[in-house]
Amino acid sequence: MRHDHGLTITHRSHSTRVQVLVVAGDLDHHTAPRLREALDGVRLERGAGLVIDLSALTFCDSTGISVLVAAHQYAQNAGAVLALAGLDADLAHVFRIMGLDRLFSSYDDAEKAIAALQ
Amino acid sequence: MKEPDIDSADEARRVAAVNRYLSLDAPGDGALDRVTSLAARIFHAPIATVTVVDDEWVRCRAAYGLPTRLCQGRRATSLCARAIGHDGVSVVPDTLADPHAAADPMVSGEPGVRFYAAAPIVASGGHRLGSVNVMDTRPRQAGVEELDALQDLAAMVTGELELRLAAARTVATERELRAGAERLARTLQRTLLPPALPQVPGLRAAAAYHPFSADEVGGDFYDLFPLDGNRWGFFLGDVCGKGADAAALTSLVRYTLRAAAVYDPDPCTVLANLDAVLHQEHAGSQGPPPYCTAVFGVLEPDGDGFTVTLAGGGHPPALAVRAAGGVETVHPEGGQLIGILRDPHFAQVGTRLNAGDALLLYTDGLTEARTGTGAMLDGEGLAAYLAAAAPADADDLLVSVHKLIASLGEGVSDDTAVLALSVPARSTAAPFRSPGAT
Repeated sequence: MRHDHGLTITHRSHSTRVQVLVVAGDLDHHTAPRLREALDGVRLERGAGLVIDLSALTFCDSTGISVLVAAHQYAQNAGAVLALAGLDADLAHVFRIMGLDRLFSSYDDAEKAIAALQ
Repeated sequence: MKEPDIDSADEARRVAAVNRYLSLDAPGDGALDRVTSLAARIFHAPIATVTVVDDEWVRCRAAYGLPTRLCQGRRATSLCARAIGHDGVSVVPDTLADPHAAADPMVSGEPGVRFYAAAPIVASGGHRLGSVNVMDTRPRQAGVEELDALQDLAAMVTGELELRLAAARTVATERELRAGAERLARTLQRTLLPPALPQVPGLRAAAAYHPFSADEVGGDFYDLFPLDGNRWGFFLGDVCGKGADAAALTSLVRYTLRAAAVYDPDPCTVLANLDAVLHQEHAGSQGPPPYCTAVFGVLEPDGDGFTVTLAGGGHPPALAVRAAGGVETVHPEGGQLIGILRDPHFAQVGTRLNAGDALLLYTDGLTEARTGTGAMLDGEGLAAYLAAAAPADADDLLVSVHKLIASLGEGVSDDTAVLALSVPARSTAAPFRSPGAT
């Protein structure tokens, strides 16, 4: 299977406390470095929240997963909280098998994630 | 015109060059056809051809105003053979006034050639391969302009042939490189997987690797090996990524698991040791962290079966295919990815393999394959398939999985490794003596 949908990342601040990264398209070996760069550009204060909205994600491979894990560790180091939003059923299932459901706080959509981090 | 003396060694090299070009393609393609039609138009002549001369024959590559069969003939009698004898153009204003030219069947028979002009096609090595020829059925003269144009056309044919030769060489080189890469990948794959599984008394073990791509090395691995006393260790897993990096990581994971198991075979401890080694491997590196998912188990003979202790780190559940029918998942709940998390949690679970039972370990290439409906096959789909197939033993189990993978066809998008262990239905093996076991 070839994935060439590309990846778009949109960064917005929802409030002084919560920022949102909307990740749309394919998160794979080729595109994952761009999410890594985008994360480097997110400044997280202690007690802040970061929501990664994955509702428009079309594909995620093992490299993509490693960047999401890195995002979690980045937030943890900063004393901030990361939440994932809008995981589709297949990815949620893969996360459960990998034991990542114990790592990530995950919400149905970005609104619910933002509300939880406010 | 006298036939020049031919140096036989040079002629052999020339013929070799001709054969290289002749092997490229069939005559009658567009580029050479345009050359002949242009040549005829420049000379206001009814016939033009492109011919090459091998050791015995003049062969037609393109013909305008003349059927191909008339265009080719024996080198000894052909007019077209003479142009390769020297540089520059050859002109015969009236073939009937030239005794050698009159021997050509095109002169004595159809179409009755009276005028002939040719410019040699000179290959990059300096060999004259053949010529661009113009013919008329009446005697005539040729102008300097026309003859210059004929030489230009011959040079264009040379360029065209060189281009094709270069293209053919590129294709051949690429094919060779690809074959080399495939060979390397297969060799590497073999070193990552045990060449044969050991014979475990009272157990049937079988494994298979279903590669998704012939030239991309996947990161699936498995092994079965003796531990202390009569216990056996086994594992199966999948490293993140593909290609040479994944292959190197796979090798590290495999040796670490075996070494860790010798040190302390407790399954969760083995996975924790692997986790520590992978973290160490990544320390100080900027790249993405190496990680894997794996199942590690210990087999211990117990009566006419085995007890199995299985630890999992982020890996899909193992499946137990029971003798009485039915398939159960054997899943250490909550085991996490290995090598990438801070303080990962590993879990273990125990089960028993009785006579006729089998255990299947697999990588997610199988369960993440898409079925006809577009949905993932999933562990449940695999369990349902195996329950219906009711395989009798480890080998049968692998046959069932093989059939399943074949039936999923395009739905499969990753490598799959499978390891199957089974206890013979009616054990004919000697009773186990297990002094270490309670």
